[in-house]
Amino acid sequence: MRLYRLLLLAFPAAVRREFGDDMTALFAMQVTDARRRQRSVVRLWMLAIADAIANGLAERRSGGRAPRDWNGRRLIAAFLTDARYALRMLVRQPGVTFVAVATLALGIGANTAIFSAVNAILLRPLPYDDPDRLMTVWEKRPAEGVLDNVVAPADVLDWARLNTTFEAMAAMTSTPVDLTGSGEPERLNAGVVSPPFFDILRVRAALGRTFTRDEAIVGKPRGVLLTHRLWVSRFGSDPSVVGRALTLNGGPFEVAGVLPASFEFSDESIDLWAPLQLEGSAQPLSRASHQFFVYARTKPGVTLQQARLDMERVGTLLQQQYPDTNRTHGAWVIPLEERLRGPVRSSLLLLLGAVAFVLLIACVNVANILLARAAGRRREMAVRAAVGAGRARLAGQMLTESLVLAAVGGACGLIVANWSIQALKTLVPDGIPLVGLAHLRLEPRVLAFTAAVSLVTGILFGVLPAWQLARQDPNGALKDGGRGPGGVRRRLRVALVVSEIALASLLLVAAGLTLRSFLKVLSQPAGFRTSGTATVTIALPGARYRSREAYFTTFETLRERFGAAPGARGASATSHLPLSGRDGRRGINIEGFVPSSDAPTRAHPRVIMPGYFDAMGITLVAGRAFTAADREGSAPVAIVNETMARRYWPDSSPIGRRVRFNGDGAVWMEVVGVIGDVKHWGLEAPVNPELYQPLGQPLASASLMTFVVPASGDPASLASALREAVHAVDPNLPVSTIRTMDEIAAVSVATRRAGMQLVGAFGLLALVLAAAGIHGVMSHLVALRTGEIGVRMTLGAAPHSVLSLFLREGAVQAMIGLALGLTGGVLLMRTFRSILYGVEPADPLTLVAVGTVLLATALAACALPARRAMRVDPVTALRS
Amino acid sequence: MALKPLVFQVLLSLADGERHGWSLVREIQQRGDFDPIMPGNFYRTLRGMLAEGLIEETDPAAKPQEDDERRRYFCLTAAGSAAAVAEARRLEALVAESRAKKLLTKRG
Repeated sequence: MRLYRLLLLAFPAAVRREFGDDMTALFAMQVTDARRRQRSVVRLWMLAIADAIANGLAERRSGGRAPRDWNGRRLIAAFLTDARYALRMLVRQPGVTFVAVATLALGIGANTAIFSAVNAILLRPLPYDDPDRLMTVWEKRPAEGVLDNVVAPADVLDWARLNTTFEAMAAMTSTPVDLTGSGEPERLNAGVVSPPFFDILRVRAALGRTFTRDEAIVGKPRGVLLTHRLWVSRFGSDPSVVGRALTLNGGPFEVAGVLPASFEFSDESIDLWAPLQLEGSAQPLSRASHQFFVYARTKPGVTLQQARLDMERVGTLLQQQYPDTNRTHGAWVIPLEERLRGPVRSSLLLLLGAVAFVLLIACVNVANILLARAAGRRREMAVRAAVGAGRARLAGQMLTESLVLAAVGGACGLIVANWSIQALKTLVPDGIPLVGLAHLRLEPRVLAFTAAVSLVTGILFGVLPAWQLARQDPNGALKDGGRGPGGVRRRLRVALVVSEIALASLLLVAAGLTLRSFLKVLSQPAGFRTSGTATVTIALPGARYRSREAYFTTFETLRERFGAAPGARGASATSHLPLSGRDGRRGINIEGFVPSSDAPTRAHPRVIMPGYFDAMGITLVAGRAFTAADREGSAPVAIVNETMARRYWPDSSPIGRRVRFNGDGAVWMEVVGVIGDVKHWGLEAPVNPELYQPLGQPLASASLMTFVVPASGDPASLASALREAVHAVDPNLPVSTIRTMDEIAAVSVATRRAGMQLVGAFGLLALVLAAAGIHGVMSHLVALRTGEIGVRMTLGAAPHSVLSLFLREGAVQAMIGLALGLTGGVLLMRTFRSILYGVEPADPLTLVAVGTVLLATALAACALPARRAMRVDPVTALRS
Repeated sequence: MALKPLVFQVLLSLADGERHGWSLVREIQQRGDFDPIMPGNFYRTLRGMLAEGLIEETDPAAKPQEDDERRRYFCLTAAGSAAAVAEARRLEALVAESRAKKLLTKRG
């Protein structure tokens, strides 16, 4: 009924006040009635819309005079007659129709495409039962400004045991595993989860079972769940696979079940799922090693607030019980949906806003086309009025023509949308699969949106000409032969020009700021060389590589082989490649530094091999890099980044000072070097303290290293040589995808790039539409004023003064529009500040650039018709 | 001069005494298989009838207490009754003539 209230806006406020409630009650009764008699509610709504428009307009026109009778059937009949007439009119003026339909198709199509993205990403419910009750739980570290830290194993168990608001809680992590024993060895990605995980998501196995309680206990037999994809690709969709024994990382597993094909998870790379065994461990579980994501389902009826309070309580309890490890952190609940969709929401809303403005400009353009046409039809309308057509009926006919035009525009818009959606898919990175563009398509909800947008559009651009027409005086129109006076209509056109410029400048401000942000991000120093380097990740399976020595020698051999590959200029390796999405933090101890109680000292550990900084082009700021001599038996050494040096040794050089990781006993490492900051999480993310250790020393350990191989030519061409090198060292060692650093860097800015391209494209479209619109309005104004120009020129006005008259008028209108649009743009972008990077909403450069571009465009659009005005032959002008 | 059908229907429904808006519509719709009467048209018609003095709004104080206060009650004026009677006569005459011309039989 709220919708119906909106419809009532068609009536004058006085009528609404007097009868609004009654009318709404009556309509509600009609709807109930229709439902009871199983009549179409849609038809009722159509009748109601027609009723509101016709009677609302009539009320507005009559101003209280005794009304005529309008009923639904007559209205619909009139509408159909008008629609047929409108179609004939459209066909009779193909040029005008083409321009109008093309403009509308662009506007509606772009809106449909962006809405389909919003629909796929924001509106589609998560594919789990009762998704509102799904939560993620994180470590909250208020002193460090972190609300979403990963969780230590002992904390997960305590949280699950102590909370009262959750049905179940599960820890989740993922790890590469080697599937061996049957056929080709294969490197797979395993999701490792506490057994209640699938109960929390309410996902059942398509074959077999999901995990059982027992599988949470250390030492019990473990099953694995295959994803549908792996089941098809590796096991040929064999239904008898359930119960088969598998070897993962050298350990025994049994296939417990196969997940349904429809199962989706935010990490699409996971091939299979294994149970996480934390319970009943002989050694106490760690509270210091933070590594798990936690998923949970609230009990029915529990609000987010209640869940947060509950976890707050649990967090405080653990803080008191384990002050050493838990003093600085509590627990924080974030709904799963917000976690997944929050980051993209504002970008998408900005896009939706931008594209809506494009449509508004399109509406203004079409309104103007119709106004021009209506002016040409003044005589026709006057004749109709003279032979008895009511004003409401005439306005209704004009409105019908607009609606028909909008419907045709909307239908063509669907073609544009379909094409745009394909383009969108190639332009925008997939993002997180669960909320990504995989579901981008023209589905019923999108089609309904298009229909609604077309309807609103038709009314929007049709009301103005209809109103214009209905209020004209038929006598005057008949007398002046349909040419019409200037006055009111000119003011209306000026308003159109001003609004076009305002809308376009608003949009261009958004586009300009987005572009500036993107350039700012790109201009951020990455701290390493992104070009000309190939990367390959090697994980050594623990089952076959048992000792530290085995790891080390294999990695060393690989480094030598990679470095000797044809086209390679050396090679090295790191445990954590920048921009790769892998990271962790550890608490550290710094000699002579007393941490404040609420902000513990931490650093991100990285293990590297000699030559890494050279291979990556990372600058050594002070001291020395690691060498082959930093190995077992030599004094433990470490290198820190500049951020760490500044933070923990603000007044002196860190070289020669000592640090150690908590949990490494009393072994100190001496800082021997400082390197320049490297952007690890993305060009726009802040840099955190990093501490590098040499792989050669026993304090450092890593079974997974990413090798970086600078190439003398195209790094992608190294791929096969690198693969051969791995096979020569260990034929059973799976090789990851070989990617260049360029690709990795491009992916890290892909979302921002796509957003910038889209907003930029809409800005450009707006500019073109506005230019076309201004040109159209100006041409028509010139045509209307041909007589006046003739008079001026007869009286001695020089042609160029006529030109400057029009240019001056255009400039004034453009300035007003600019003032409105630029202000609006700045205000709008203030609400989207989170999207901007390194640039203020009121960025002078952007504002000046947008102002200049629009002013130039507006003047150019005025100049063409003005030149025509200049060439007017006074005699012809006066005679017409 | 013939009355518009909806106007006559409203007058007819008010002949029993005062009524509020949607109970009028309900009665009218029960009288025959009409298209649903739409609020905009209906209230505009009522407004017209008020303006022409065919009906008037009853004093709010006279309303039954238990009723929803927002409802507006209408009743016939003398002119309204007269118009209704005149229209009924006119229709009656038309029906009589239809019968005389064997267009209608007694039954129906």
